Amino acid sequence: MKRRSFLKSGLAATSLLAAPSMLKPAFAAAPVTIHGLKSMSGAFASYGQFAEMGSKLAVQDFGPLLGAKPEYVTIDTEGNAGKAVRKVQEAIQGGAKFFDGCTLSSTALAVGKEVAKGGGVFMTPAGADEITGSECNASTFRWTVPTFGAIQQTVRPLAKELPKAKRWYTITPQYVFGEALLSAAKDLFKELGIEHVGNSYHSMQEQEFSGYLTNAMAAQPDVLLILNFGGQSSNCLRQAVNFGLKKQMTILMAWTAGLDQFQTLGPELLEGVYLGAQYWHQVDTPMNNALVKRVKEVYGITANYPLAADYIGTKVILEAIKKAGSADGKAVAKAMEGMSYDGPTGKETIRAQDHQVLKDYYLLKGKAKKDMKDPDDLATLVSSGQSFPTGDKIACKMA
Amino acid sequence: MLNLYLFQILNGLGLGMIYFLISVGLTIIFGLLNFVNFAHGAFFMIGCYLCYALLQVTGQFWLALVLGPLIVGALAWGAEKVLIRRIYHLPHTFHILVTVGVALILQETAVIVWGPVGKSIPIPDALQGVVLMGKFAYPKYRLFLILFSAVIGFLLWLLLERTRFGALVRAGSESTEMVSLLGTNIYKLFSLTFALGVGLAGLAGVLSGPIRGAQPFMGPEVLGIAFVVVVIGGMGSFSGALVGGLLIGLVQSLMTTIWPEGASLMIYGAMAAVILLRPYGLFGRA
Repeated sequence: MKRRSFLKSGLAATSLLAAPSMLKPAFAAAPVTIHGLKSMSGAFASYGQFAEMGSKLAVQDFGPLLGAKPEYVTIDTEGNAGKAVRKVQEAIQGGAKFFDGCTLSSTALAVGKEVAKGGGVFMTPAGADEITGSECNASTFRWTVPTFGAIQQTVRPLAKELPKAKRWYTITPQYVFGEALLSAAKDLFKELGIEHVGNSYHSMQEQEFSGYLTNAMAAQPDVLLILNFGGQSSNCLRQAVNFGLKKQMTILMAWTAGLDQFQTLGPELLEGVYLGAQYWHQVDTPMNNALVKRVKEVYGITANYPLAADYIGTKVILEAIKKAGSADGKAVAKAMEGMSYDGPTGKETIRAQDHQVLKDYYLLKGKAKKDMKDPDDLATLVSSGQSFPTGDKIACKMA
Repeated sequence: MLNLYLFQILNGLGLGMIYFLISVGLTIIFGLLNFVNFAHGAFFMIGCYLCYALLQVTGQFWLALVLGPLIVGALAWGAEKVLIRRIYHLPHTFHILVTVGVALILQETAVIVWGPVGKSIPIPDALQGVVLMGKFAYPKYRLFLILFSAVIGFLLWLLLERTRFGALVRAGSESTEMVSLLGTNIYKLFSLTFALGVGLAGLAGVLSGPIRGAQPFMGPEVLGIAFVVVVIGGMGSFSGALVGGLLIGLVQSLMTTIWPEGASLMIYGAMAAVILLRPYGLFGRA
């Protein structure tokens, strides 16, 4: 055998031996898995079930990614930060890198730190300012508008609509979230020349608001600004309507959970009430129209906030993996920074500086039953817009 | 300012009567059966949902007010026959374990039947609106609750103090063996008392529906309030439930003006103060 033939044969044999490992990435790449952190049980199960629908749909509708169909796994956070962290640690040990979800801010903050330690990516719809503020990190991204924007996009347009309403009263839950909303509201009151005629703090466990509403009645405000959320804001509004406050003053709930909360309250309570929302199914954007249609096809329901938030959160991670061309957590996080995409609220951008998604926040007004075109047509869109802290006001100092 | 405090007192009385209704069933069951029912809040929640469901079907709040507590009472009767009576003789820790299990079953059943998202319950048409008192307004429905709870309280007092059934219940709470030896079917008496106590939780649930709506996870919070009232009034005391309920309602309502952020805390502060001064509650016995 000539030397040249020997070398050729040797190279061919080596190539054949190496072929299986070369073929593997092309035909049997390990699928990318998104882990959905959803409160499937416990007090926030109503949120978790819709959030899970959103993430599942995003993964189901996404095409091949890095040579394989992406997969989805739900982790039940049980609405409990401690349990969520333990389960996320276990998942990371098992190789998990991409996470979406967390209803509660406390859980999101704790989980964000764990994912950052593991060098993964975590997209959350949780509300606390700290997530993309003082406790931001390289792995955590947030879709929802924080408290500053929620107040700017509700109080400001309402004050414009009701120029004679100069006396405002607030009801606030006494913890970080409520304080942040109240502080943003006070700053805006000062700027707009609104008199803050009083505030009632209440505890996180409170469900009986008659006493606080009595304080509000005594102050005789033009507007009652409700700054709690979830079940507390539902009970607060329900009792305010029982006490006839809707006839005495304008009511604004700055931070609602959107459609599923409105369905619980019903048009009798909501009529004429102003409502702040992160998402509304009737917003006319190409992506939202497509999402609402798809959700109706697959689940037979109207898309609501938890579903839309976790749908887009999951989809953004998948898009970023595609953009990065890699399932490396750090590369994917880098790809997400500055990324712009068509979201349910229109063009949305992930700000690189603090990993906050820049998107619209909505002011809605509850409709009368007779004006509703369908059972989910519970509110009309009053205004929308984006307000985010900029420059020195951004509290995030990314390490 | 004086008007504000007077109004808060009225509001506190209203709240207190609701708390009395929530807790009186718990105290009756403990008084006679020496049984700690941790499923009390869950039965309250079922009462709320029955109010919602019966309104959906019949559109009649008043029918729901009659049928809701009866259905909850019947459920309790069945649970007592099948499960509860088997553990009367066991220590309180077993009562807690079993009734927490029952509460979880009821909670998850509510999630399966009505979904995890809460439901709103409208105020009956006849009680819509408010009564104006100067610059304050008080809902007609809450005024109705005060009067209705007072009537229920009076009827319960008559039942427990002026009827043969009441005499047997009171005697049974002193000595079940003696009542049994005198020829009374003590198991039937136990079943009836358990159904009555739980039915009262159902009644409180139906009545609270238009104020609070129905939520599958409302049971533990209601149970907490009921225990505070019962501990303040004295475990097993009917008068204690009334006075404890009113005291808690007044403290909570007045504190929302004096120290709003501590209003919920002061409920437990009042309980701690009573326990320090009278360890067995205001009307309790050692």
